[in-house]
Amino acid sequence: MDSKPAPIYVDNAATSFPKPREVIDTISSLLGGMSLSPGRSAHRYSLECSRIIFEARETLASFFNCPDSSRIAFACNVTEALNAGILGLFGTALHPGDHVITTPFEHNSVMRPLRYLEKNAGLTLSILPLSDEGEVMVSELPRLMRDNTRLIVVNHVSNVTGSVVDLEEIGRLKGECLLMVDAAQSAGVFSIDVKKMHIDMLAFTGHKSLFGPTGSGGFYLREGLALQPLKMGGTGSNSETEVQPDFMPDIYEAGTPNTLGIAGLGSGVEFIVKTGLAAIRGHEQRLCALFLDGLRQLKNVTVFGPGAGRQRAAVVSLRVKGKSESEVAFRLDREFGVMVRAGLHCAPAAHRAIGTFPAGTVRFSFGYFNTEKDVATCLRGLDMIAAR
Amino acid sequence: MWPPQHHSPTCVVILFSIHFVLKAEKLFKKQGISHDVIPVPREISSDCGMAVEFPCREIEKVSELLASADIRIAGLYRRDGRDSFQVISRS
Ligand SMILES: Cc1ncc(COP(=O)(O)O)c(C=O)c1O
Repeated sequence: MDSKPAPIYVDNAATSFPKPREVIDTISSLLGGMSLSPGRSAHRYSLECSRIIFEARETLASFFNCPDSSRIAFACNVTEALNAGILGLFGTALHPGDHVITTPFEHNSVMRPLRYLEKNAGLTLSILPLSDEGEVMVSELPRLMRDNTRLIVVNHVSNVTGSVVDLEEIGRLKGECLLMVDAAQSAGVFSIDVKKMHIDMLAFTGHKSLFGPTGSGGFYLREGLALQPLKMGGTGSNSETEVQPDFMPDIYEAGTPNTLGIAGLGSGVEFIVKTGLAAIRGHEQRLCALFLDGLRQLKNVTVFGPGAGRQRAAVVSLRVKGKSESEVAFRLDREFGVMVRAGLHCAPAAHRAIGTFPAGTVRFSFGYFNTEKDVATCLRGLDMIAAR
Repeated sequence: MWPPQHHSPTCVVILFSIHFVLKAEKLFKKQGISHDVIPVPREISSDCGMAVEFPCREIEKVSELLASADIRIAGLYRRDGRDSFQVISRS
């Protein structure tokens, strides 16, 4: 039996690994250092936790150019944030019979709540088409818009193909509609400016390119917009009343928060700011270009996604002729130590749109800590698997 | 020592949540306004939150500072004694 190959993690679109040293240090020193219940008691540990969460909120607000950090609410991931947004708008800004536009690249964390409201609450749904380049055709937005279109929900970067949606253009075309953005894959890689892009709600997850731990995430909600909160309970504020507070962030943050996760997320974003978004993106895109170049030399490998020269994230979906996706992924791990993800990536609509449903694809997703050597190993592994 | 032994009369500002208390704290620090983050005095409210205490001579500066940062004031009080407060304004 061969000795195990060294691990090469190329599944950063699922969750980033490794995390920056600073993130690990923040979390471990907190966990070992104090009690972690912010805003509940008046003692120094509780106050210190509140300060850490406050600072993380300020860091995220400035990262996305939100004018007021109280408009950031923390959640346990982008799925919770998107559900808080989609289900929470229902009854405040979204009513039975209203029309919503979305894209074929939505993750199930958007598609399922939207389909639920379509089936149970009389919402109607239209989906933007893809171009021949495999990109969402934002230019079709005016044609799909109706008098009763209230909401546009967009995944900024496809977790299947890496394709990028032009948010500024949507912001220009959206008129009176609300714009909700799933930034799960883009936050920490592409610059996001909620003001410039006219984003009404931005949902992010902490554990991918923002370098936080799992269980962290949240959303930005534009001033003047309100959601029906998904949960109600203790907030540490207004305790004399039995009614949920009506102000942010407390309204959406009932229950003791994930202090460790939020602290780690804050550290992750500080790491990004220190390193530079452009430097991170540049490194990932260099690795991606190298990988795509190498793939062009390989026989029997088909790549799905935006064409050469298009703006993209370092997420590459492919198939190997004659091999199942799960077999390729399994052999990459066993024989070459390369960890990737095979299948539908929780985005069946995306796979339908690019013609890879139901088997899906093998997805490689490079992160800031991957190296050129990692790319070479991926290519060598694929070449050998394709050959036998 | 609590309550803090200020030499000059102090005021207590109540804000809507710990987020705004900490935002105020950050601004006070930046502006060099001496202050203390204290539990909301029981005599003012049964709320379990925190408040900011500061010298009353800074009251104009504080009101302007909070307004410029869009921090709404839930209540403003003058400390008359250890356990006694007088309302200046309340929303
Ligand atoms: C585009 C997109 N949206 C949503 C999600 C869901 O993220 P989470 O599981 O952190 O809620 C993911 C990743 O899994 C994603 O890639």
